[in-house]
Amino acid sequence: MSPAAQTLAALALVAVAATWLVRRALAKKKHPGCGGDCGCPAPKFPSALRRR
Amino acid sequence: MALPSHISSSAANPSSARTPVYALVGNPNCGKSTLFNALTGLKQKVGNYPGVTVEKKVGTAYSQHGQPITVIDLPGAYSLAARSPDEAVTRDVLLGRRADTAQPDRILCIIDATNLERNLYLVHQILDLGRPVLLVVNMMDLAAAAGTTVDVARLEQELGIPVIACEAVNGRGLIELKLAMSRADLPLARHAWAIPAAIAPAVTELQASLIAHDRKAPLVARAEALLLLTDQDSVRVAGSTPLHARTGEILRTWQQRWEGEGTDWAGTLVNSRYDAIGRIAAEVLLQTGETGPTASDQIDAVVTHPVWGWLVLGAVMTLLFLSIFTLAEYPMNVIDAQIAHLADGVKSAMPPGDLRDLLTSGAIAGVGGVIIFLPQILILFFFIGLLESTGYMARAAFIMDRLMARVGLNGKSFIPLLSSYACAIPGIMATRTIEDQKDRLVTILVAPLMSCSARLPVYLLMMAALVPGDRVPLLTKVGIMILMYALGTVGAFGFAWLFKRTLLKGAPPLMIMELPPYRLPRVKDVALHMLERGWLFLRRAGTIILGISIVLWFLSAYPKAPDGTTDQQQLAQSFAGRAGHLLEPAIRPLGFDWQIGIGLITSFAAREVFVSTMAVVFNAEAKDDDTTPLRQAMLAAQWPDGRALFTPLVCFTLMIFYVFAMQCISTIAVVRRETNGWKWPLFQTAYMTGTAWILSFIVYQGGTALGF
Repeated sequence: MSPAAQTLAALALVAVAATWLVRRALAKKKHPGCGGDCGCPAPKFPSALRRR
Repeated sequence: MALPSHISSSAANPSSARTPVYALVGNPNCGKSTLFNALTGLKQKVGNYPGVTVEKKVGTAYSQHGQPITVIDLPGAYSLAARSPDEAVTRDVLLGRRADTAQPDRILCIIDATNLERNLYLVHQILDLGRPVLLVVNMMDLAAAAGTTVDVARLEQELGIPVIACEAVNGRGLIELKLAMSRADLPLARHAWAIPAAIAPAVTELQASLIAHDRKAPLVARAEALLLLTDQDSVRVAGSTPLHARTGEILRTWQQRWEGEGTDWAGTLVNSRYDAIGRIAAEVLLQTGETGPTASDQIDAVVTHPVWGWLVLGAVMTLLFLSIFTLAEYPMNVIDAQIAHLADGVKSAMPPGDLRDLLTSGAIAGVGGVIIFLPQILILFFFIGLLESTGYMARAAFIMDRLMARVGLNGKSFIPLLSSYACAIPGIMATRTIEDQKDRLVTILVAPLMSCSARLPVYLLMMAALVPGDRVPLLTKVGIMILMYALGTVGAFGFAWLFKRTLLKGAPPLMIMELPPYRLPRVKDVALHMLERGWLFLRRAGTIILGISIVLWFLSAYPKAPDGTTDQQQLAQSFAGRAGHLLEPAIRPLGFDWQIGIGLITSFAAREVFVSTMAVVFNAEAKDDDTTPLRQAMLAAQWPDGRALFTPLVCFTLMIFYVFAMQCISTIAVVRRETNGWKWPLFQTAYMTGTAWILSFIVYQGGTALGF
């Protein structure tokens, strides 16, 4: 693979990774939390706890 | 098994056209999650301490005929008169108050045979609901070992519902339970309870209002009326439907009247119920052997002793870290060699170029730098699983409570703080067991100070640079690691003390904690927990850390410097280098340069990203003739004037910084959700990062002044 082709492929990979990270970050704004990464029990109740 | 043929209610029983829904309820630590896992085949976390389940979980079991049955595992509760948000979830689901959850068709109630009387209180309240109930008497083996047995047939007769003896841990009684759950018709309880005469008119009036205005079924309305009279500080969660104004008015009128008369209405109701339970317990509890101090009691005499208890805790911690350093060494070397082999393979297969650099210096170096710590993560969680499974964790809570009470922390804070050693997020969610909102908030604010497993790779990398080679005794390394964990714990207690006296003033409540009997660890559960955590660690390495490593490679490789510049000059003028240079004035007083600054910025996504960032920044390409390339690359790093960058003092300062800094965006998001706003997570980030900076400054400048 020529250096130019390698540069193109590398930049494409970077673009994919950056897009995925950005999408992941934006998706978390809709459902804030760990996103299941930490092993905590996934909450079934979307609403936050609060006193009446 | 012969089941009694009492009255059955077709209305209350699920229709054959849809899947029946069972709610699984019981006191904390009576084996609910173990039974839930046994019934559904799921792998929910179980632990030999109260408060493991803080949210409902749903699974599917199958009857003996292969019919699906939905099972909802609800948080443990001692009573339907909820005192904490997790108990309120249980109460509201059972009462059909939740707008987002249909009322279960049937209730599967599990009780601990070793503590029958206390467990029957919740059962007694549930029977008031008028729903079909199945009762599981769990831990019959432990009761027998303690010299008592439960006359199951007599209990069935007394309550009028099917009762199944069970040992959920080893699956005994599960077939009988599934047979009972499969029954089309379940009997309604024959149980009758005479409400004290002084309270009865109020119950009748409230019941009528709940039927008329809140559209409750008669029996549920009666049960709810009783709860309203004992639930003086009703904890509600979002999603539960509020009471009608008229019902509230009736309640207030009666309370005012009783207050005027000096009647303790709640106490009267509770005592009356306990009298009824006492009569049942006297009939069904049989002494089968000597009752004296149990084996658990004898062990507790040492393990919870004011002096010996601390020594045992210290010994357990030392053993844990010794194992992390010694047992993990060989598998770490194997992983390191494999990563080096992979990098060499890529290098030999591809000509020089950006893609090859990305794969070796970005992806492989970044991910490899983190996954090398997998064996240590597995050992950490194996030990935590063992301690949870045996019941030792509850004893550790008991010992720590003396200290926690002095700083004003709620005793129930211990389990959330303990969970935070693994990850702050489940720890923060576990604060739902704390009744007092101020105590809960204090615990949320200090939980991320406990050293989570994501800090472990950072500590270990710094340890490798701080105490290189075999020159330093193993026990010194163990001592430094214990110091880091102790610093986080002391910091959490110190800030809790400060918050309880300033921002969140309040008297520390009494702690009532159950010490579960010691049990032999279930190797399968411990192994599953360990493997689950290991898998999550690998998943993070293969997703977010890989993604960040790739992007970081770009940021450190672009814009390209003119030909002939050194790697160091290329990094300095790259995007990442410029960001690091921007941060450097703020961190230079801590002994950190712009390269470390890049790591501090990226590790805000996840702390262990610091390690992969160092691997990318220092271009630590794996070499097969060197098992610790990153450490050597870091040791070779220098300031422009030729001074070593990673001196022992700088490594130690970095460890101190990571002990206190809030470097975790996921934790911030969870705190925002749990506190309903940005005020507290922003405050938390500010106070933790500020403390990290100040303490790092003191350590570095103090150490420099002392000649280190």
